Amino acid sequence: MRGFYIVGGYPDRQQFKKCLRLIAESGFEFVEIGIPFSEPVADGPVIASAIHEAVMNGVDIDAIMADVREMKAEFPAIRAIVMTYANIIHGYGEKRFSDDFADILSGVIIPDLPTRMHYWMTEKGLEIPIVPFVTPVSRDEDIELISGTQAPFVYYISIMGVTGSDKKKRADNRPEKAAKLTGKTVVTGFGIKTPEDAAKALSATGGYIIGTEAVRRQKDFREFSEYIKQFA
Amino acid sequence: MDSKMFFGQYGGQFVPETLIPALDELETWYNKLKYDRKFNDELNALLTSYAGRPTPVYKAENLSKDLGCELYLKREDLMHTGAHKVNNTLGQALVTKYMGKKRVIAETGAGQHGVATATAAALFGMECTVFMGEVDARRQEPNVKRMQLLGAEVVRVQDGQRTLKDATNAALREWVASVETTHYIIGSIVGPYPFPEMVAYFQSVIGKEAKVQCRELGFDPDCVVACVGGGSNAIGIFQGFLDNKKVDIYGVEAGGVSDKDGEHARTIGMGKPGILHGAFSYLVQTPQYQVADVHSISAGLDYPGIGPVHAMLNDSGRVTYGYVRDDEALNAFQTLTRKEGIIPALESSHALAYVIENKEIFKGKKVLVNLSGRGDKDMEAILARGLV
Repeated sequence: MRGFYIVGGYPDRQQFKKCLRLIAESGFEFVEIGIPFSEPVADGPVIASAIHEAVMNGVDIDAIMADVREMKAEFPAIRAIVMTYANIIHGYGEKRFSDDFADILSGVIIPDLPTRMHYWMTEKGLEIPIVPFVTPVSRDEDIELISGTQAPFVYYISIMGVTGSDKKKRADNRPEKAAKLTGKTVVTGFGIKTPEDAAKALSATGGYIIGTEAVRRQKDFREFSEYIKQFA
Repeated sequence: MDSKMFFGQYGGQFVPETLIPALDELETWYNKLKYDRKFNDELNALLTSYAGRPTPVYKAENLSKDLGCELYLKREDLMHTGAHKVNNTLGQALVTKYMGKKRVIAETGAGQHGVATATAAALFGMECTVFMGEVDARRQEPNVKRMQLLGAEVVRVQDGQRTLKDATNAALREWVASVETTHYIIGSIVGPYPFPEMVAYFQSVIGKEAKVQCRELGFDPDCVVACVGGGSNAIGIFQGFLDNKKVDIYGVEAGGVSDKDGEHARTIGMGKPGILHGAFSYLVQTPQYQVADVHSISAGLDYPGIGPVHAMLNDSGRVTYGYVRDDEALNAFQTLTRKEGIIPALESSHALAYVIENKEIFKGKKVLVNLSGRGDKDMEAILARGLV
């Protein structure tokens, strides 16, 4: 499973729609749409500064989701996944978020909601599957908690750090364990830049997600499309 | 599910998955050390011979006369490094030592917690990095220099509003990257479980002492008052009196300039429940669920969140949360300085200002105010206001 992350409504609505459409028409399996939150604690400088800019310009959740809906109508095969922080979904209302968007979303990624806290949102009515994380320090007991996940994939954070870090990946059998336990594809995220990195991740865990390098180019559509096309 | 993580409905562990094993490790160590004789002996020895405990309870006679009440001050301003913060940093640095970690990081607003962390790190021979918003670093420059003198690296954070909230974001990011070797000494009763509980425990010494000291003077206070940003000095003193229903307890938030958006830091007064820095608690936010800009003259209170325990104490009605404006805090600052010869921190001035501004409520009563820190660090802000 191959996918890209872009920041919703950034740098403006038109440009976001073009980027979203490009990913969908290039045939990738999923796209991750960020709803900007003012405190992006899991994000490194590139994504955090895009998010800050988006927040300064005003975040319109309804507009972002309308654009996702339009894209899904044209490209029903691609999976759309929202990535946002817990306060956004809780503020919007877990139940209302599900009622409004469950039909177009295959999952939500909430970087400040660890597996053991998933229940806190599901018992408040969040029905969209929450994509679980596995990290380089996940223990067996942490991985066991995700065994019943309904999410389309498991998100493997391959390094210790925030998005866009340059740290070295470690050899690790955790993705394998998670795949066996859940029967789901494991998607490697964090630190993937080049088609070579992506190919490695694809063969190692079965999937990848690229965020920082896509967002870095989100302001310049020509650069963005040249970059994305290398992976198609 | 895990009710131990919650205070009423507030608290939890809203953090990246990467931090979960470290939070579990911390919880295990904390629960073990809390009852460990050797640990407690070591901590108590430091608190007394190194940091200056017990701090006195002082009756402010001159101000009492003016206000028509009996005003007592718990003198945390006399602590080593100038505020109550060192109660917590010595405790957490000692936990760090027992855990075998060699590096600590911290966030700081006014710089008091940063200095207290750098001090503990120097004492224990630990590497130390402190994150401080650029705006705060500028208004508290002497504290930046103090931290550097103590051997800490100070990272000036340029994100967002460039104050305490952004420093905390930066510290959390650094912790995610270095969690296996580094302990994050959070400075208030905020953050993911077990931090709110652990920091409250290390600050409970304020209230325990004050209760005994008041009894020695022959009374239980009628009222206890403390300022609240994240809320560590407040919870520290409240813990001596929460179970005595005859004691009225007041937490004082920073009212800034006005109730307009971006001009106050009234988390309980103007916020609504939300998620920030690992915990579900009250939060000043915009109608679009973004964390709102806040303002206070006091860097230590300039924070849009509050400890989950205070959210619970507000909802249950056990504690009354009020506010004073910047000018009222400045007035209290001047009043205490002139009448009693004590220069308080701008944070603590909020607690005192609440008593001054509401003196009818406190008339004839025995009022205990937590004077959480001293004002040396605030000279620049004070001078900028032309008070001298």
